[in-house]
Amino acid sequence: MRLADRDPAPKSGPSPPCCFIAPPDLLARVAEEGDPEEQKAAIRTLAASASIRTQRSLVTRLMRELDVDVRTLALIDAPAGERQTVYDVENQGRSALPGERRRGHGDPAVDDPAVNEAYDGTAETYDFYREVYERDSVDGQGMELISSVHYSVDFDNAFWNGAQMVYGDGSERLFQKGAFTRALDVIAHELTHGVTNFTAGLVYSVQPGALNESFSDVFGSLVKQRHLGHTADEADWLIGEGTLVPRLGRALRSLKEPGTAFSGDRQPGHMRDYVELPDDADPRNDNGGVHINSGIPNRAFQLAASAIGGNAWEKAGRIWFATLTDRLGQNSDFEEAAATTVSVAGELFGQGGSEQQAVEGAWKEVGVLS
Amino acid sequence: MRLTVERGGGIAGFVTTTTIRSDALPPEDEHELSERVSAAGLLTMPGPSAPSVRQPDELLYAISVEAEGQARTLRFSEANLPEEVRRLIAWVDSRPEREDRIEPPGGAPPGGAA
Repeated sequence: MRLADRDPAPKSGPSPPCCFIAPPDLLARVAEEGDPEEQKAAIRTLAASASIRTQRSLVTRLMRELDVDVRTLALIDAPAGERQTVYDVENQGRSALPGERRRGHGDPAVDDPAVNEAYDGTAETYDFYREVYERDSVDGQGMELISSVHYSVDFDNAFWNGAQMVYGDGSERLFQKGAFTRALDVIAHELTHGVTNFTAGLVYSVQPGALNESFSDVFGSLVKQRHLGHTADEADWLIGEGTLVPRLGRALRSLKEPGTAFSGDRQPGHMRDYVELPDDADPRNDNGGVHINSGIPNRAFQLAASAIGGNAWEKAGRIWFATLTDRLGQNSDFEEAAATTVSVAGELFGQGGSEQQAVEGAWKEVGVLS
Repeated sequence: MRLTVERGGGIAGFVTTTTIRSDALPPEDEHELSERVSAAGLLTMPGPSAPSVRQPDELLYAISVEAEGQARTLRFSEANLPEEVRRLIAWVDSRPEREDRIEPPGGAPPGGAA
């Protein structure tokens, strides 16, 4: 394997700076010890190599261990025709990611439902962002979407790790077997974390973290609504329906009625019920309650979308999309998000128009604006 | 010896607490727990550790070992959970003698209904 091996596929954008022949460990050292420009060049070279690109785990690990901004990936040209690939990590952990390649873009279905579901859900989410908001993949520049299924053993989670999607199989104690890839809104929720990662970059802590969660729930629900052809009135506004084992509850969250998705659901739907939790490394505190207080902005979106009416992705969704991708920053809180969506609604659909009034009214109803 | 594995965060924020006690295991398996805990390095690795960057929906882990009157808790995220510790957790999850408790995000609310 030589780092100089290059993908022969034609590239749409300008070529990355000419790479040099160097062993990965030297590049890694440059990535760690070089000045910022050298670091960028080393990471680009590592990632641009066709051979290394298949060993994405190395690139991912390096970027994370060195705290390199994942948006650096946006500098890398996407290989033509490789919109997405699904891998099987065969019940191994992080160091084995992404695993064995099972289905590339345009390949026929395989005999593993998890692979096919991850493939179809990713395609559906990709098409949603491209067709509705003209956004090409999570980074806006056609980044190949990598998914790995069968992560770890009976693993009760699915997540975006900063560079790819990872799906566990579920244990039947908390989540049903195979639940994560079956749920289109869960797939879209996770990929939206990628979009946030490349845009507003909301830190995953207390209010910015709860907003990060809320944007993922909003677009997770919108991808499902568009797939089903549901208007705002017809939608169930649930996230992850049928993923939990039945005795725990029917869904993970309800945007319409926060606090009702499962037995013990503590999500508030109004600022007076905001749950203060510390942001420490304690697993009980959920990064300062990011999955709890997201109920407040979730309900604001649902109220705005219902008041505007029709397909929620067309107007309310566009306002939230522009707010996330063009306006918010990594430390934005609920108030800033509220004020920004009101401004954006005026810019997109007219100052003082019914859309702007609907958005402002929604944030007032949940107690964020007064 | 008692080993407690607490998992939180994740896509839903649920808190799962899994506990296993060596004296609940059959005699022939009693030493296996302490051997696996040692092999995972839980008694010797420096701690507590915590991730520098939080990734969305990753699991957070707190692993506590109580043995011979001493207790130690180490914290990890999905991003820095050692593979040896992951193997230990998979073994605990496979044991019928374990006890599981599942609580909603944020842990059980005051008053306790979960």
